[in-house]
Amino acid sequence: MTGKIGESVRRADGEDKVRGRAIYGMDHAETNMIHARLLRSPVAAGRIVVLDITRAMSIPGVRAIITAADIPCRAGVIVKDQCLMALEYVRYAGEPIAAVAAGTEAQALAAVAAIDLEIEAWDPVLDPTTALAPNARVVHPDWASYDLGADPPVGTRGGNVAWESRLERGDVSAAFADAHLVVQDEFTVPRQHQSPIEPHCAVASITGGRYVVHTPTQAPFLVRDRIAEFLGLRASQIRVVVPTIGGGFGGKVEATLEPICALLAQRTGRPVRIANSRREELATTAPREGAMVRLRSAVGPDGDLLAQEAECLLDAGAYAGETVVIASVALLYLGATYRIPGVRHVARAVYTNTPPTGGYRGLCGPYCVFAMEQHLDHIARELELDRLELRLRNALRAGERMANGQEIDDDGMVDAIQQVRRLNAWPASGRTPQAPGDRRPMRGTGLAATRCPTHPEPTQATVKLNEDGTVGIISAAVEIGTGAVAMGARQIAAAELGVQPSDVMMLPPDTDAAGYDGGSTGSGTTFALGNAVRDAAEGVREQLFETAAEMLEVAAEDLRLADGHVVVVGSPDSRVALADVATTALWTTGPIASAGRYCPPPIVFDEACVTGTLISTMWAVSSSVHLAEVEVDEGTGKVTITRYVVTQDVGRIINARAIEGQIHGGVLQGIGYALLEELRIDDFGLPLDASLERYRLPTALDAPRIEITVLEHPCPYGPYGAKGVGEPPIVPVAAAIAAAVADAIGQPVRRLPITPFSVLETLRSARPA
Amino acid sequence: MRVAFRVNGVPVEADVGGMEPLLEILRDRFGLTGAKLGCGEGRCGACSVIVDGRTIASCLYPIVLADNQAVRTVEGLAAADGPLDPIQDALLEHGAVQCGACIPGVLMTLTALLERVAQPTEEVIRQELTGNICRCTGYHAIVDAVLDLTTTTSE
Repeated sequence: MTGKIGESVRRADGEDKVRGRAIYGMDHAETNMIHARLLRSPVAAGRIVVLDITRAMSIPGVRAIITAADIPCRAGVIVKDQCLMALEYVRYAGEPIAAVAAGTEAQALAAVAAIDLEIEAWDPVLDPTTALAPNARVVHPDWASYDLGADPPVGTRGGNVAWESRLERGDVSAAFADAHLVVQDEFTVPRQHQSPIEPHCAVASITGGRYVVHTPTQAPFLVRDRIAEFLGLRASQIRVVVPTIGGGFGGKVEATLEPICALLAQRTGRPVRIANSRREELATTAPREGAMVRLRSAVGPDGDLLAQEAECLLDAGAYAGETVVIASVALLYLGATYRIPGVRHVARAVYTNTPPTGGYRGLCGPYCVFAMEQHLDHIARELELDRLELRLRNALRAGERMANGQEIDDDGMVDAIQQVRRLNAWPASGRTPQAPGDRRPMRGTGLAATRCPTHPEPTQATVKLNEDGTVGIISAAVEIGTGAVAMGARQIAAAELGVQPSDVMMLPPDTDAAGYDGGSTGSGTTFALGNAVRDAAEGVREQLFETAAEMLEVAAEDLRLADGHVVVVGSPDSRVALADVATTALWTTGPIASAGRYCPPPIVFDEACVTGTLISTMWAVSSSVHLAEVEVDEGTGKVTITRYVVTQDVGRIINARAIEGQIHGGVLQGIGYALLEELRIDDFGLPLDASLERYRLPTALDAPRIEITVLEHPCPYGPYGAKGVGEPPIVPVAAAIAAAVADAIGQPVRRLPITPFSVLETLRSARPA
Repeated sequence: MRVAFRVNGVPVEADVGGMEPLLEILRDRFGLTGAKLGCGEGRCGACSVIVDGRTIASCLYPIVLADNQAVRTVEGLAAADGPLDPIQDALLEHGAVQCGACIPGVLMTLTALLERVAQPTEEVIRQELTGNICRCTGYHAIVDAVLDLTTTTSE
C-alpha cells in the first residue's frame, strides 16, 4: 500500500465487512432495549374520526403509545408542513398515525392492531397534473400559515404548488418568433426507489438527560437538527452516532424514524429500536420523484439552440420535504450543458396524496437529461443532423455561461464527446431514422451528455498525530459505501503527512465528537472532507516542523515530510521519525493536532435571472458522455444492451478502483431506471410495488460490461483537483438507453421505464393500420 | 421443541417454536449478525447462509429444518484471528465491497458455488448471483474477483 494519490488502496472498513463483523445500523442493539412499530394510514386521504389507544394500551408488554396529540408541531426541510404523525388529516397511505413501544416486536405489532382507528376517506389527489387542475382539492388547506426555512418571492407557492422555481434569461419571445424550427416534447417518468439492502432503522436512548440516537444516516447533523425541531429541543440535547451504513443513495439523508424513536425513548426511559419492514421501506420512504417535463425549443437552421421553454412538474407527494429543493436543481441540470441564449424554465414541486418523495442519487438529473437528450434527438431528426455533431455544436465551452450566468470552468464536455469518437463508438451516420427502421434485428445507438454538479457541504475535520507516528482523523463525514472516507480521506491525509494510508485511522461519525458536517450527499464527501483534511494537515505540518526544526537544528522552511519522517531538504540522511517528533512535542509544544474546515466558495452567477431557487449554482462541475448500443426484440419488446461506454471527467483521480466502482454501480442503477424500476401507486393511492418481487431491482444478469474512460479536467478548488464522482454515473444512463432504443425502433421514447410492453405498444402504434 | 445443529462447526442447541426463521435464531440467539434481514421475502439474498452445502434464504427457512444439519455463515469463512479466506480477500482486492450489506450473503453464494464448480464461467457466476441483490457495485467487481481467483488458483 502506498500513499500516492490516484492509487487503488483498500478500504479501511473492508475486512470487517467481509468477515460479517461490521455492525450496521440494523445490527445495533442496546441493553434493555425495547421495540417500536408504527400504525400507518391505510388510506391515501381523509380525516381521522376515531383514534383511540385505550384498548391497545392494555396489550401485554406495551410501554408507551404516542400520537400526533403528544407532539403537534410541524417541521420540514424548507416548508414546515409535516407533523411527526398525522394530525387530524391523513395525506398519504402509509403516513404514521401512532407509534407503539413494547417489550417485543410481536407485542408492539399486536398493540398496533388493537388501536381503534376510523378515517373518513376522501378521493386522493394522485398526480401533479390533476393536483394543478382548477377544481382540485388542496392537499394542505393551511399552506399559507406554514413556517418557511427560506423566503420565496410572493406568488411562488399556493394551492397544491408546494414551491415554484424559475429561471428566465435572454429574449425568449423574439427567438421563438424568428426561429427556423420550433420543437416541442413532453416526457413522463415514474418514481424510483433507492432500495438499499439496509432499511431505515434507529435505536434511541436517554443518557445523562440527553438523547442518544444510533442511526445509519448519511447526514447525522441533519437528523440531529430535525429531531430537535420536531421535539422542540435544543440541537445540543441530541447526540447522533452513525454505525456502519448499509446503503443510502440519498434515501437516508432526511430524518424518518429517528424523531419518533427518540420520543418513545423519552416516554419509556428505555432504549427503543425501530426498523422498517421492506414493505414499509418501499411504500413510505421518499423515492426519486415521479415527474413530467415539457420542453419547447427555438432552433436555427444548423441546429443552434436559440431559446427554450421548460416546465417541470415534480411530484412532491404529501409533504414538501427535499423535493422543493430539487425543483431548483432541475433548472440547473437543464441549463448546464448546452448554450441556450434565451431561457424560460420553470419547475414546480406539487403536493399530491402520495408518499413524500425526496433525494435519490443524481436527484432530478436522470429525467432532466432524459428529456433534454430525447428532445435534442428530436431536433436532430427534424434537421437531419448527426446527433453527436448537434451536441458538439451546442455544448458550452470554457469561458461561456450556463443558463444561470455561471461561467464554465473547462472544456471537459468537448473532450468527453470527442472521446466517444476517439473510441470509434459512434456510427458514421449518427442520424435517427425517420420511420421504423428496416434493420433486423432492430439495433440502435444512442448517446447522452450532461454536466453534473459536485455538491459539497460545510464540514470540519480534526487531524492528530498519534505518539506512534500514525494519524487520526475525527470527522462526522459518513462513509456511505463509496470509499470517500474509508479510502479517499485516508489517502489524502497520508499524502499530506507522508505516511501510509493504512496508518490513518478514523473515528466513526458522532455529532458530539466532531464539528459540523452537512452530510454525505451530492458527490461531495471526498471533495469537502478532502479539503478539510488538507486544511487540518497544514496545521499539523506546521506543528511538526516547529518541533522537528529544534530536534534537527535547522530552519522549519528546510523540512519536508516523507515515509513517516521529517526530512531535511537536500540531506535525506538528516531526518527524524514522526513518532519521535510526536513524543518530543508532548513536552515542548504540547500534543500535535489541528482542526481543519471547509466551506464551498461562492459562485458568481446572474442573480437577477432566478426566482424562488434554493440552490442557484453548481460547484466543481464535471462532464459525462454515455453511449449505449441496444438490440430490441421485435417479437417480445425486450431491450438488450450490447455495448455501454462511459466517459466521465473526475477532475483528478484519487482512487482509480473506487471511481470504477461508482461508475459500475451508478450505471446499473441507471439501467434499472431506464428499463425496470417503476414504483407505482394505484388508483386509490396505495402502493403497488411494495415488495422486491414487484419492484424489480437489477441483478447480475442485467449488468452489461462497461467501457470506461476517466478524464481529468482539474477543479481549481477541489482536493488535488478532484471533482465529485458518485452521482454523475447514474445521470445520463436512461437518456443514452432511450436514445439507442429510439434509434433501433425509429420512434421516440417519451416515458420511462422502457419495458417490453411499452416497446411493443410503440411499435404497434407506429405500424400503419 | 429443541433443535440441535452445528453452526460453523460448533454444536448448538435451541428451544424454538419450530417455524421461526433460521436467520432470527442465528442473529438473536447466537450473535451471528453477519447475515442480514434485507427484505424478509427471500428475494434480496442478504440473509444467505449454507445449510448442508446448499445456499438458502435464512429469513424464510424454518429453524426446524436446520435440526441435525450443518449451518455455515459468513463468520465461519475464516478463523476470527486468522487470515481472510481467498474469496473474501479477492472481493477486497477487486474493490467489490462498498456498503457491504449484501456481502455476507454474496460470500456464501460464491462459497457454495466454488465448492461445486472449481472454475465457473462468467455466465454461471452471474446466474448464481441473481439471488443476491447488490445495489452498490453493479456486480462487475464481484464477478471479476471470482474469475480472477479461480483462474489464478488453477495456474
